[in-house]
Amino acid sequence: MYAIVDCDNCYVSCERVFRPDLNGKPVCVLSNNDGCVVARSNEAKALGIKAGMPYFKLKEQFGSQVIVFSSNYELYGDITDRVMSLVRKAAPTFYRYSIDEGFCDLSGMENFDLKRWGEDLSAYIWKATRMPVSIGIASTKTLAKMASHYAKHYKGFNHCCFIDTDERRIKALERYDIDEVWGIGRRYAARLQALGVKTALDFANHAETWVRVMLNNVVAIRTWKELNGIDCIPMEDMSKKKSICTSRSFPGMVTDMTALRTSISNFAARCAEKLRKQQSVAQTVCVFIDTNHFREDLPQYWNMAEERLLTPSNSTQQIVQTATRCMERVFRQGYHYKRAGVIVMGISPDNGIQTNFIDYDSERHEKMKRLDEVIDKINREYGSETVVLGSQQYTKPEGKGKADVFKDSIKHDFRSPCYTTRWSDIPEAT
Amino acid sequence: MEENNLIDGADYITLEDAKRLKLPYFEGLAAGFPSPAADYNHETLDLNEKFVHHPEASYFVRVRGESMIGLGILDGDICLADRTEEISDGNIVVAFVNGGLTVKRIDLSTKDQGFLRLMPANPDFKPIIIDAYDQFILQGKVTSIHRDTRKY
Repeated sequence: MYAIVDCDNCYVSCERVFRPDLNGKPVCVLSNNDGCVVARSNEAKALGIKAGMPYFKLKEQFGSQVIVFSSNYELYGDITDRVMSLVRKAAPTFYRYSIDEGFCDLSGMENFDLKRWGEDLSAYIWKATRMPVSIGIASTKTLAKMASHYAKHYKGFNHCCFIDTDERRIKALERYDIDEVWGIGRRYAARLQALGVKTALDFANHAETWVRVMLNNVVAIRTWKELNGIDCIPMEDMSKKKSICTSRSFPGMVTDMTALRTSISNFAARCAEKLRKQQSVAQTVCVFIDTNHFREDLPQYWNMAEERLLTPSNSTQQIVQTATRCMERVFRQGYHYKRAGVIVMGISPDNGIQTNFIDYDSERHEKMKRLDEVIDKINREYGSETVVLGSQQYTKPEGKGKADVFKDSIKHDFRSPCYTTRWSDIPEAT
Repeated sequence: MEENNLIDGADYITLEDAKRLKLPYFEGLAAGFPSPAADYNHETLDLNEKFVHHPEASYFVRVRGESMIGLGILDGDICLADRTEEISDGNIVVAFVNGGLTVKRIDLSTKDQGFLRLMPANPDFKPIIIDAYDQFILQGKVTSIHRDTRKY
Protein backbone atom coordinates (compact mmCIF):
# COMPACT_ATOMS: atom_id res chain seq x y z
CA MET A 1 0.00 0.00 0.00
CA TYR A 2 1.05 3.56 -0.69
CA ALA A 3 -0.03 6.80 0.87
CA ILE A 4 0.34 10.27 -0.56
CA VAL A 5 0.20 13.23 1.78
CA ASP A 6 -0.73 16.42 0.00
CA CYS A 7 -0.92 19.91 1.55
CA ASP A 8 -4.24 21.66 0.85
CA ASN A 9 -3.82 24.99 -0.96
CA CYS A 10 -0.24 24.81 0.24
CA TYR A 11 1.04 28.38 -0.11
CA VAL A 12 -2.16 29.95 1.19
CA SER A 13 -2.17 27.58 4.16
CA CYS A 14 1.46 28.52 4.94
CA GLU A 15 0.44 32.18 4.99
CA ARG A 16 -2.31 31.32 7.47
CA VAL A 17 -0.06 29.51 9.95
CA PHE A 18 0.81 32.74 11.79
CA ARG A 19 -2.30 34.57 10.60
CA PRO A 20 -5.14 32.42 11.91
CA ASP A 21 -7.46 35.38 11.39
CA LEU A 22 -7.26 34.64 7.65
CA ASN A 23 -8.96 31.26 7.98
CA GLY A 24 -12.29 31.38 6.18
CA LYS A 25 -11.30 34.44 4.14
CA PRO A 26 -10.40 34.63 0.45
CA VAL A 27 -6.59 34.63 0.18
CA CYS A 28 -4.37 34.52 -2.91
CA VAL A 29 -0.61 34.13 -3.33
CA LEU A 30 1.06 35.76 -6.33
CA SER A 31 3.88 34.45 -8.49
CA ASN A 32 7.39 35.89 -8.42
CA ASN A 33 7.37 39.57 -9.33
CA ASP A 34 3.73 39.71 -8.22
CA GLY A 35 2.69 38.74 -11.75
CA CYS A 36 -0.28 36.46 -11.38
CA VAL A 37 -2.22 34.26 -8.96
CA VAL A 38 -0.47 30.96 -8.19
CA ALA A 39 -2.41 29.79 -5.12
CA ARG A 40 -5.96 30.36 -3.94
CA SER A 41 -7.84 29.52 -0.79
CA ASN A 42 -11.14 27.69 -1.20
CA GLU A 43 -12.95 30.97 -0.53
CA ALA A 44 -10.99 32.64 -3.35
CA LYS A 45 -11.83 29.75 -5.68
CA ALA A 46 -15.50 30.15 -4.73
CA LEU A 47 -15.36 33.81 -5.79
CA GLY A 48 -14.39 32.61 -9.26
CA ILE A 49 -10.72 33.61 -9.12
CA LYS A 50 -8.76 31.45 -11.54
CA ALA A 51 -5.16 30.28 -11.21
CA GLY A 52 -2.95 32.36 -13.48
CA MET A 53 -5.14 35.47 -13.28
CA PRO A 54 -2.87 38.52 -13.62
CA TYR A 55 -2.60 40.61 -10.48
CA PHE A 56 -3.85 43.82 -12.10
CA LYS A 57 -7.06 42.04 -13.12
CA LEU A 58 -7.50 40.60 -9.66
CA LYS A 59 -7.17 44.08 -8.19
CA GLU A 60 -9.56 45.49 -10.76
CA GLN A 61 -12.28 42.90 -10.21
CA PHE A 62 -12.01 42.12 -6.51
CA GLY A 63 -10.14 44.99 -4.92
CA SER A 64 -9.75 44.64 -1.18
CA GLN A 65 -12.20 41.73 -1.06
CA VAL A 66 -9.25 39.38 -1.46
CA ILE A 67 -6.16 39.29 0.75
CA VAL A 68 -3.06 39.08 -1.40
CA PHE A 69 0.47 37.88 -0.61
CA SER A 70 3.66 37.90 -2.65
CA SER A 71 5.23 34.46 -2.68
CA ASN A 72 7.48 33.81 0.30
CA TYR A 73 9.26 30.57 -0.56
CA GLU A 74 11.44 30.77 2.52
CA LEU A 75 8.34 30.47 4.68
CA TYR A 76 6.70 27.80 2.50
CA GLY A 77 9.91 25.78 2.50
CA ASP A 78 10.14 25.78 6.28
CA ILE A 79 6.47 25.02 6.97
CA THR A 80 6.35 22.17 4.43
CA ASP A 81 9.66 20.77 5.76
CA ARG A 82 7.95 20.49 9.13
CA VAL A 83 4.96 18.71 7.60
CA MET A 84 7.11 16.29 5.62
CA SER A 85 9.26 15.58 8.67
CA LEU A 86 6.15 14.46 10.58
CA VAL A 87 5.09 12.22 7.68
CA ARG A 88 8.58 10.73 7.53
CA LYS A 89 8.34 9.82 11.20
CA ALA A 90 4.94 8.16 10.73
CA ALA A 91 5.77 5.79 7.86
CA PRO A 92 8.36 3.09 7.19
CA THR A 93 9.53 4.62 3.89
CA PHE A 94 9.00 8.15 2.71
CA TYR A 95 9.83 10.04 -0.46
CA ARG A 96 9.20 13.70 -0.85
CA TYR A 97 7.81 14.34 -4.29
CA SER A 98 7.49 18.12 -4.35
CA ILE A 99 7.22 21.07 -2.01
CA ASP A 100 3.70 20.09 -0.98
CA GLU A 101 3.41 16.32 -1.40
CA GLY A 102 5.20 13.15 -0.40
CA PHE A 103 4.71 9.42 -0.84
CA CYS A 104 4.89 6.72 1.82
CA ASP A 105 5.45 3.04 1.16
CA LEU A 106 3.32 1.36 3.82
CA SER A 107 4.72 -2.16 3.36
CA GLY A 108 4.76 -3.88 6.72
CA MET A 109 1.75 -1.94 8.00
CA GLU A 110 -0.82 -4.36 6.53
CA ASN A 111 -2.27 -5.12 9.93
CA PHE A 112 -2.83 -1.48 10.77
CA ASP A 113 -6.16 0.22 10.36
CA LEU A 114 -4.76 2.42 7.58
CA LYS A 115 -7.82 4.63 7.27
CA ARG A 116 -7.49 5.45 10.94
CA TRP A 117 -3.71 5.90 10.57
CA GLY A 118 -4.30 8.49 7.84
CA GLU A 119 -6.99 10.34 9.76
CA ASP A 120 -4.81 10.49 12.88
CA LEU A 121 -1.77 11.65 10.91
CA SER A 122 -3.74 14.39 9.21
CA ALA A 123 -5.17 15.56 12.54
CA TYR A 124 -1.73 15.55 14.18
CA ILE A 125 -0.12 17.49 11.31
CA TRP A 126 -2.87 20.09 11.61
CA LYS A 127 -2.35 20.39 15.33
CA ALA A 128 1.45 20.58 15.15
CA THR A 129 1.92 22.79 12.11
CA ARG A 130 -1.49 24.28 11.25
CA MET A 131 -1.19 22.85 7.74
CA PRO A 132 -4.30 21.06 6.46
CA VAL A 133 -3.33 17.92 4.54
CA SER A 134 -5.25 15.34 2.52
CA ILE A 135 -4.13 11.73 2.51
CA GLY A 136 -4.87 9.14 -0.16
CA ILE A 137 -4.08 5.47 0.39
CA ALA A 138 -4.23 2.74 -2.28
CA SER A 139 -2.32 -0.17 -3.75
CA THR A 140 -0.60 1.96 -6.41
CA LYS A 141 0.73 5.50 -6.39
CA THR A 142 -1.57 6.62 -9.19
CA LEU A 143 -4.61 5.34 -7.30
CA ALA A 144 -3.31 6.91 -4.07
CA LYS A 145 -3.04 10.26 -5.85
CA MET A 146 -6.64 9.86 -6.98
CA ALA A 147 -7.70 8.96 -3.45
CA SER A 148 -6.07 12.12 -2.10
CA HIS A 149 -8.17 14.11 -4.55
CA TYR A 150 -11.32 12.60 -3.05
CA ALA A 151 -10.03 13.21 0.47
CA LYS A 152 -9.48 16.86 -0.42
CA HIS A 153 -12.83 17.50 -2.05
CA TYR A 154 -15.26 15.54 0.11
CA LYS A 155 -15.50 16.38 3.80
CA GLY A 156 -16.99 12.98 4.59
CA PHE A 157 -13.61 11.29 4.16
CA ASN A 158 -12.23 13.19 7.16
CA HIS A 159 -9.02 14.12 5.23
CA CYS A 160 -8.17 10.51 4.38
CA CYS A 161 -9.52 8.36 1.56
CA PHE A 162 -8.51 4.69 1.49
CA ILE A 163 -9.18 2.69 -1.66
CA ASP A 164 -9.03 -0.70 -0.01
CA THR A 165 -11.37 -2.86 -2.10
CA ASP A 166 -11.81 -3.43 -5.82
CA GLU A 167 -15.35 -2.17 -5.50
CA ARG A 168 -14.09 1.16 -4.13
CA ARG A 169 -11.41 1.31 -6.82
CA ILE A 170 -14.02 1.01 -9.58
CA LYS A 171 -16.27 3.57 -7.90
CA ALA A 172 -13.36 6.00 -7.65
CA LEU A 173 -12.33 5.50 -11.28
CA GLU A 174 -15.88 5.95 -12.49
CA ARG A 175 -16.20 9.44 -11.06
CA TYR A 176 -12.76 10.62 -12.13
CA ASP A 177 -12.24 12.61 -15.33
CA ILE A 178 -9.50 11.28 -17.58
CA ASP A 179 -7.74 14.64 -17.80
CA GLU A 180 -7.35 14.69 -14.01
CA VAL A 181 -5.47 11.39 -13.93
CA TRP A 182 -1.88 11.68 -12.75
CA GLY A 183 0.51 10.76 -15.58
CA ILE A 184 -1.91 11.55 -18.40
CA GLY A 185 -0.72 14.75 -20.00
CA ARG A 186 -3.04 17.29 -21.58
CA ARG A 187 -2.21 16.07 -25.08
CA TYR A 188 -2.98 12.44 -24.30
CA ALA A 189 -6.11 13.38 -22.40
CA ALA A 190 -7.41 15.21 -25.47
CA ARG A 191 -6.62 12.23 -27.69
CA LEU A 192 -8.34 9.85 -25.28
CA GLN A 193 -11.41 12.07 -25.03
CA ALA A 194 -11.65 12.08 -28.81
CA LEU A 195 -11.61 8.29 -28.64
CA GLY A 196 -14.57 8.34 -26.27
CA VAL A 197 -12.59 7.85 -23.07
CA LYS A 198 -14.18 10.24 -20.57
CA THR A 199 -13.36 8.77 -17.19
CA ALA A 200 -10.46 6.92 -15.61
CA LEU A 201 -12.67 3.82 -15.64
CA ASP A 202 -13.24 4.04 -19.42
CA PHE A 203 -9.46 4.08 -19.78
CA ALA A 204 -8.76 1.28 -17.31
CA ASN A 205 -11.37 -0.96 -18.94
CA HIS A 206 -9.64 -0.94 -22.32
CA ALA A 207 -7.31 -3.84 -23.03
CA GLU A 208 -3.59 -3.27 -22.64
CA THR A 209 -3.05 -3.88 -26.37
CA TRP A 210 -5.54 -1.10 -27.15
CA VAL A 211 -3.55 1.30 -24.98
CA ARG A 212 -0.30 0.20 -26.65
CA VAL A 213 -1.69 0.70 -30.14
CA MET A 214 -3.56 3.93 -29.50
CA LEU A 215 -1.05 5.78 -27.32
CA ASN A 216 2.23 3.91 -27.67
CA ASN A 217 3.69 5.74 -24.70
CA VAL A 218 5.53 4.16 -21.76
CA VAL A 219 4.08 6.51 -19.17
CA ALA A 220 0.52 6.03 -20.43
CA ILE A 221 0.87 2.26 -20.29
CA ARG A 222 2.30 2.46 -16.80
CA THR A 223 -0.60 4.67 -15.76
CA TRP A 224 -3.08 2.19 -17.25
CA LYS A 225 -1.48 -0.62 -15.23
CA GLU A 226 -1.48 1.45 -12.04
CA LEU A 227 -5.17 2.28 -12.46
CA ASN A 228 -5.80 -1.44 -12.68
CA GLY A 229 -4.03 -2.00 -9.39
CA ILE A 230 -0.67 -3.13 -10.79
CA ASP A 231 2.06 -1.33 -8.89
CA CYS A 232 4.73 -0.32 -11.40
CA ILE A 233 6.11 3.16 -10.74
CA PRO A 234 9.29 2.69 -8.71
CA MET A 235 9.75 4.94 -5.68
CA GLU A 236 13.20 5.98 -6.88
CA ASP A 237 11.63 7.58 -9.93
CA MET A 238 9.87 10.04 -7.76
CA SER A 239 12.29 10.93 -5.03
CA LYS A 240 14.67 13.16 -6.94
CA LYS A 241 14.12 15.38 -9.88
CA LYS A 242 15.89 14.51 -13.12
CA SER A 243 16.39 18.13 -14.00
CA ILE A 244 16.13 21.39 -12.10
CA CYS A 245 15.01 24.59 -13.73
CA THR A 246 15.19 28.14 -12.40
CA SER A 247 13.58 30.69 -14.65
CA ARG A 248 11.75 33.99 -14.36
CA SER A 249 9.91 36.56 -16.33
CA PHE A 250 11.56 39.92 -15.82
CA PRO A 251 9.55 42.75 -14.25
CA GLY A 252 10.31 44.93 -17.25
CA MET A 253 12.29 43.93 -20.29
CA VAL A 254 16.04 43.43 -20.48
CA THR A 255 18.11 44.65 -23.39
CA ASP A 256 21.74 44.71 -22.28
CA MET A 257 23.98 41.75 -21.78
CA THR A 258 25.29 42.78 -18.34
CA ALA A 259 21.82 42.78 -16.83
CA LEU A 260 20.96 39.48 -18.46
CA ARG A 261 24.23 37.99 -17.28
CA THR A 262 23.40 38.98 -13.71
CA SER A 263 20.02 37.26 -13.92
CA ILE A 264 21.54 34.14 -15.45
CA SER A 265 24.15 34.09 -12.67
CA ASN A 266 21.39 34.17 -10.09
CA PHE A 267 19.36 31.43 -11.78
CA ALA A 268 22.48 29.27 -12.04
CA ALA A 269 23.40 29.91 -8.39
CA ARG A 270 19.90 28.89 -7.36
CA CYS A 271 20.17 25.67 -9.39
CA ALA A 272 23.49 24.84 -7.72
CA GLU A 273 21.96 25.46 -4.30
CA LYS A 274 19.03 23.18 -5.10
CA LEU A 275 21.42 20.47 -6.30
CA ARG A 276 23.38 20.64 -3.07
CA LYS A 277 20.22 20.58 -1.03
CA GLN A 278 19.23 17.23 -2.52
CA GLN A 279 22.85 16.01 -2.47
CA SER A 280 23.22 15.58 -6.18
CA VAL A 281 25.32 16.82 -9.07
CA ALA A 282 24.46 17.73 -12.65
CA GLN A 283 26.18 16.81 -15.87
CA THR A 284 24.75 19.44 -18.22
CA VAL A 285 23.96 23.12 -17.87
CA CYS A 286 21.46 24.66 -20.27
CA VAL A 287 20.43 28.29 -20.71
CA PHE A 288 17.47 29.71 -22.61
CA ILE A 289 16.50 33.29 -23.39
CA ASP A 290 13.27 34.55 -24.87
CA THR A 291 11.62 37.78 -25.98
CA ASN A 292 8.07 38.91 -25.21
CA HIS A 293 5.62 37.14 -27.52
CA PHE A 294 2.81 39.51 -26.62
CA ARG A 295 4.73 42.42 -28.08
CA GLU A 296 4.19 41.73 -31.74
CA ASP A 297 5.56 45.16 -32.53
CA LEU A 298 9.03 44.05 -31.39
CA PRO A 299 11.38 41.63 -33.12
CA GLN A 300 11.20 38.15 -31.65
CA TYR A 301 14.05 35.88 -30.73
CA TRP A 302 14.39 32.63 -28.83
CA ASN A 303 17.45 30.52 -28.33
CA MET A 304 19.16 28.11 -26.01
CA ALA A 305 22.61 26.68 -25.49
CA GLU A 306 23.94 23.90 -23.36
CA GLU A 307 27.30 22.76 -22.17
CA ARG A 308 28.36 19.44 -20.76
CA LEU A 309 30.57 19.56 -17.70
CA LEU A 310 33.60 17.30 -17.82
CA THR A 311 32.95 16.31 -14.23
CA PRO A 312 29.38 16.51 -12.88
CA SER A 313 29.16 19.29 -10.34
CA ASN A 314 27.01 21.20 -7.88
CA SER A 315 29.48 24.01 -7.29
CA THR A 316 27.98 27.47 -7.53
CA GLN A 317 31.09 28.88 -9.20
CA GLN A 318 31.31 26.21 -11.84
CA ILE A 319 27.65 26.20 -12.73
CA VAL A 320 27.49 30.00 -12.82
CA GLN A 321 30.55 30.19 -15.08
CA THR A 322 29.18 27.54 -17.44
CA ALA A 323 25.76 29.18 -17.61
CA THR A 324 27.34 32.56 -18.30
CA ARG A 325 29.32 31.10 -21.19
CA CYS A 326 26.15 29.54 -22.62
CA MET A 327 24.32 32.87 -22.34
CA GLU A 328 27.09 34.74 -24.11
CA ARG A 329 26.86 32.29 -27.01
CA VAL A 330 23.17 32.92 -27.65
CA PHE A 331 22.80 36.58 -26.68
CA ARG A 332 21.98 38.89 -29.57
CA GLN A 333 22.02 42.65 -29.23
CA GLY A 334 18.88 44.56 -30.18
CA TYR A 335 16.18 42.38 -28.67
CA HIS A 336 13.98 43.00 -25.64
CA TYR A 337 14.27 39.92 -23.47
CA LYS A 338 11.33 39.04 -21.25
CA ARG A 339 12.23 35.66 -19.90
CA ALA A 340 15.32 33.56 -19.27
CA GLY A 341 16.23 30.46 -17.35
CA VAL A 342 18.85 27.93 -16.40
CA ILE A 343 18.23 24.19 -16.47
CA VAL A 344 20.63 21.64 -15.03
CA MET A 345 20.25 18.10 -16.32
CA GLY A 346 21.74 14.65 -16.01
CA ILE A 347 21.33 14.69 -12.27
CA SER A 348 22.93 11.94 -10.21
CA PRO A 349 23.78 11.42 -6.53
CA ASP A 350 26.75 13.36 -5.19
CA ASN A 351 28.65 10.22 -4.17
CA GLY A 352 30.98 8.42 -6.56
CA ILE A 353 31.21 11.17 -9.14
CA GLN A 354 32.70 9.92 -12.37
CA THR A 355 35.71 12.12 -12.58
CA ASN A 356 37.40 13.12 -15.74
CA PHE A 357 41.11 12.79 -15.10
CA ILE A 358 42.08 15.64 -17.43
CA ASP A 359 39.72 18.12 -15.80
CA TYR A 360 39.74 16.89 -12.25
CA ASP A 361 41.83 18.68 -9.67
CA SER A 362 40.96 17.17 -6.34
CA GLU A 363 42.45 19.96 -4.27
CA ARG A 364 40.50 22.61 -6.15
CA HIS A 365 37.37 20.49 -6.01
CA GLU A 366 37.74 20.15 -2.25
CA LYS A 367 38.22 23.91 -1.84
CA MET A 368 35.14 24.75 -3.90
CA LYS A 369 33.13 22.25 -1.94
CA ARG A 370 34.17 23.79 1.35
CA LEU A 371 33.42 27.27 0.05
CA ASP A 372 29.93 26.18 -1.02
CA GLU A 373 29.34 24.59 2.37
CA VAL A 374 30.29 27.78 4.15
CA ILE A 375 28.14 29.91 1.84
CA ASP A 376 25.16 27.58 2.33
CA LYS A 377 25.58 27.73 6.08
CA ILE A 378 25.80 31.53 6.19
CA ASN A 379 22.79 31.87 3.92
CA ARG A 380 20.81 29.48 6.07
CA GLU A 381 21.77 31.39 9.19
CA TYR A 382 21.29 34.96 7.99
CA GLY A 383 18.73 34.52 5.24
CA SER A 384 19.18 33.49 1.64
CA GLU A 385 21.57 35.52 -0.50
CA THR A 386 23.48 37.04 2.39
CA VAL A 387 26.61 35.89 0.58
CA VAL A 388 26.57 35.80 -3.22
CA LEU A 389 29.08 35.77 -6.04
CA GLY A 390 30.06 39.16 -7.40
CA SER A 391 28.38 38.31 -10.68
CA GLN A 392 25.05 37.83 -8.90
CA GLN A 393 24.80 41.49 -7.92
CA TYR A 394 22.90 43.99 -10.00
CA THR A 395 24.27 47.43 -10.66
CA LYS A 396 22.19 50.01 -8.85
CA PRO A 397 20.06 51.89 -11.35
CA GLU A 398 20.93 55.39 -10.15
CA GLY A 399 24.66 55.02 -9.91
CA LYS A 400 27.81 53.00 -9.85
CA GLY A 401 28.69 50.04 -7.73
CA LYS A 402 27.08 46.70 -7.26
CA ALA A 403 24.76 46.32 -4.35
CA ASP A 404 21.34 44.95 -5.17
CA VAL A 405 21.16 41.20 -4.98
CA PHE A 406 18.67 38.97 -6.70
CA LYS A 407 16.00 38.86 -4.03
CA ASP A 408 15.88 42.63 -3.86
CA SER A 409 15.50 42.93 -7.60
CA ILE A 410 12.30 40.89 -7.55
CA LYS A 411 9.04 42.64 -6.86
CA HIS A 412 7.28 41.41 -3.74
CA ASP A 413 5.16 44.21 -2.37
CA PHE A 414 2.97 41.99 -0.20
CA ARG A 415 5.45 39.59 1.30
CA SER A 416 4.79 38.18 4.75
CA PRO A 417 7.57 37.91 7.36
CA CYS A 418 9.79 34.82 7.43
CA TYR A 419 8.33 33.93 10.83
CA THR A 420 10.31 30.76 11.37
CA THR A 421 13.58 31.31 9.52
CA ARG A 422 14.85 34.76 10.52
CA TRP A 423 15.34 36.15 13.99
CA SER A 424 14.36 39.58 12.75
CA ASP A 425 11.00 38.24 11.57
CA ILE A 426 9.74 36.11 14.47
CA PRO A 427 6.21 37.01 15.55
CA GLU A 428 5.76 39.46 18.41
CA ALA A 429 3.33 39.07 21.29
CA THR A 430 2.22 41.55 23.91
CA MET B 1 34.93 36.15 -12.24
CA GLU B 2 38.06 35.97 -10.15
CA GLU B 3 37.39 32.69 -8.52
CA ASN B 4 40.80 32.20 -6.99
CA ASN B 5 40.47 35.36 -4.99
CA LEU B 6 37.34 33.94 -3.49
CA ILE B 7 38.97 30.77 -2.34
CA ASP B 8 42.54 31.62 -1.48
CA GLY B 9 43.10 33.08 1.90
CA ALA B 10 39.50 32.66 2.98
CA ASP B 11 39.02 31.86 6.61
CA TYR B 12 36.64 28.99 7.05
CA ILE B 13 34.32 29.65 9.91
CA THR B 14 32.62 26.62 11.32
CA LEU B 15 29.24 28.01 12.24
CA GLU B 16 28.17 24.51 13.16
CA ASP B 17 30.32 24.58 16.27
CA ALA B 18 28.84 27.82 17.42
CA LYS B 19 25.33 26.71 16.63
CA ARG B 20 25.00 23.19 17.93
CA LEU B 21 27.23 23.09 20.99
CA LYS B 22 28.30 19.62 19.97
CA LEU B 23 31.95 18.94 20.76
CA PRO B 24 32.61 15.23 20.93
CA TYR B 25 35.14 14.69 23.69
CA PHE B 26 37.20 11.64 22.93
CA GLU B 27 37.59 11.33 19.23
CA GLY B 28 41.01 10.32 17.91
CA LEU B 29 42.80 9.89 21.23
CA ALA B 30 46.54 9.54 20.79
CA ALA B 31 48.32 6.35 21.77
CA GLY B 32 49.48 6.31 25.34
CA PHE B 33 47.94 5.63 28.68
CA PRO B 34 44.19 5.04 28.12
CA SER B 35 42.01 7.75 29.52
CA PRO B 36 40.26 6.63 32.71
CA ALA B 37 37.18 8.48 31.43
CA ALA B 38 37.01 6.60 28.12
CA ASP B 39 34.33 4.28 29.39
CA TYR B 40 32.20 7.29 30.29
CA ASN B 41 32.30 8.85 26.84
CA HIS B 42 29.19 10.87 26.16
CA GLU B 43 27.78 13.53 23.94
CA THR B 44 28.01 17.09 25.15
CA LEU B 45 24.84 18.86 26.25
CA ASP B 46 22.56 20.23 23.58
CA LEU B 47 20.07 23.01 24.32
CA ASN B 48 17.78 21.88 21.51
CA GLU B 49 17.55 18.44 22.99
CA LYS B 50 16.69 19.90 26.39
CA PHE B 51 14.09 22.44 25.30
CA VAL B 52 12.70 21.52 21.88
CA HIS B 53 10.68 18.35 22.31
CA HIS B 54 8.62 18.69 19.12
CA PRO B 55 10.71 20.63 16.60
CA GLU B 56 8.04 20.54 13.88
CA ALA B 57 5.48 22.05 16.23
CA SER B 58 7.73 24.66 17.83
CA TYR B 59 8.35 28.30 16.99
CA PHE B 60 9.74 31.44 18.59
CA VAL B 61 7.83 34.51 19.74
CA ARG B 62 9.32 37.79 20.91
CA VAL B 63 7.59 39.31 23.92
CA ARG B 64 6.80 43.03 23.85
CA GLY B 65 5.79 44.94 26.94
CA GLU B 66 5.78 44.44 30.69
CA SER B 67 2.60 42.47 31.25
CA MET B 68 4.41 39.31 32.35
CA ILE B 69 7.30 40.67 34.41
CA GLY B 70 5.94 38.99 37.54
CA LEU B 71 6.84 35.64 36.01
CA GLY B 72 10.23 36.89 34.87
CA ILE B 73 9.21 37.43 31.25
CA LEU B 74 10.67 40.78 30.21
CA ASP B 75 10.30 43.03 27.20
CA GLY B 76 12.36 41.52 24.35
CA ASP B 77 12.50 37.99 25.75
CA ILE B 78 12.15 35.14 23.30
CA CYS B 79 9.62 32.45 24.15
CA LEU B 80 9.66 29.00 22.65
CA ALA B 81 6.11 27.79 22.00
CA ASP B 82 4.93 24.27 21.19
CA ARG B 83 1.60 23.68 19.46
CA THR B 84 1.29 20.04 20.52
CA GLU B 85 1.76 20.41 24.29
CA GLU B 86 -1.41 19.84 26.22
CA ILE B 87 -2.70 23.01 27.85
CA SER B 88 -4.10 23.01 31.34
CA ASP B 89 -5.19 25.61 33.84
CA GLY B 90 -2.42 28.02 34.81
CA ASN B 91 -0.09 27.33 31.85
CA ILE B 92 1.65 30.16 30.04
CA VAL B 93 0.23 30.20 26.52
CA VAL B 94 0.50 32.06 23.24
CA ALA B 95 -2.91 33.05 21.92
CA PHE B 96 -4.22 34.99 18.98
CA VAL B 97 -6.76 37.40 20.45
CA ASN B 98 -8.75 39.90 18.37
CA GLY B 99 -6.09 40.39 15.73
CA GLY B 100 -2.84 40.03 17.64
CA LEU B 101 -0.67 37.61 19.58
CA THR B 102 -0.42 37.67 23.33
CA VAL B 103 1.52 35.71 25.94
CA LYS B 104 -0.41 35.19 29.18
CA ARG B 105 -1.30 32.65 31.84
CA ILE B 106 -4.52 30.89 31.05
CA ASP B 107 -7.19 30.70 33.73
CA LEU B 108 -9.80 28.05 32.95
CA SER B 109 -11.56 28.17 36.35
CA THR B 110 -14.45 30.23 34.97
CA LYS B 111 -15.00 28.00 31.92
CA ASP B 112 -18.38 26.80 33.23
CA GLN B 113 -19.63 30.37 33.25
CA GLY B 114 -18.94 30.71 29.51
CA PHE B 115 -15.71 32.66 29.58
CA LEU B 116 -12.05 32.24 30.36
CA ARG B 117 -9.36 34.64 31.40
CA LEU B 118 -5.87 35.44 30.20
CA MET B 119 -3.94 36.57 33.23
CA PRO B 120 -1.08 39.06 33.14
CA ALA B 121 1.68 38.80 35.75
CA ASN B 122 1.77 42.51 36.53
CA PRO B 123 -0.69 44.39 38.78
CA ASP B 124 -0.72 47.31 36.32
CA PHE B 125 -2.45 45.15 33.71
CA LYS B 126 -5.99 43.83 33.69
CA PRO B 127 -6.93 40.23 32.86
CA ILE B 128 -8.27 39.71 29.35
CA ILE B 129 -11.76 38.23 29.48
CA ILE B 130 -12.50 35.92 26.55
CA ASP B 131 -16.07 35.02 25.73
CA ALA B 132 -17.91 33.72 22.69
CA TYR B 133 -17.73 37.11 20.94
CA ASP B 134 -13.95 37.27 20.94
CA GLN B 135 -11.65 35.99 18.30
CA PHE B 136 -9.54 33.60 20.34
CA ILE B 137 -7.22 30.98 18.85
CA LEU B 138 -4.70 29.17 21.03
CA GLN B 139 -1.29 29.05 19.39
CA GLY B 140 0.51 26.77 21.78
CA LYS B 141 2.09 26.49 25.19
CA VAL B 142 5.19 28.45 26.14
CA THR B 143 7.78 25.82 27.02
CA SER B 144 10.82 27.98 27.78
CA ILE B 145 11.99 31.60 27.91
CA HIS B 146 15.30 32.86 26.51
CA ARG B 147 17.26 36.04 27.09
CA ASP B 148 20.75 37.12 26.17
CA THR B 149 22.18 38.38 29.47
CA ARG B 150 25.54 39.52 28.13
CA LYS B 151 24.29 43.07 28.00
CA TYR B 152 23.77 43.16 31.79
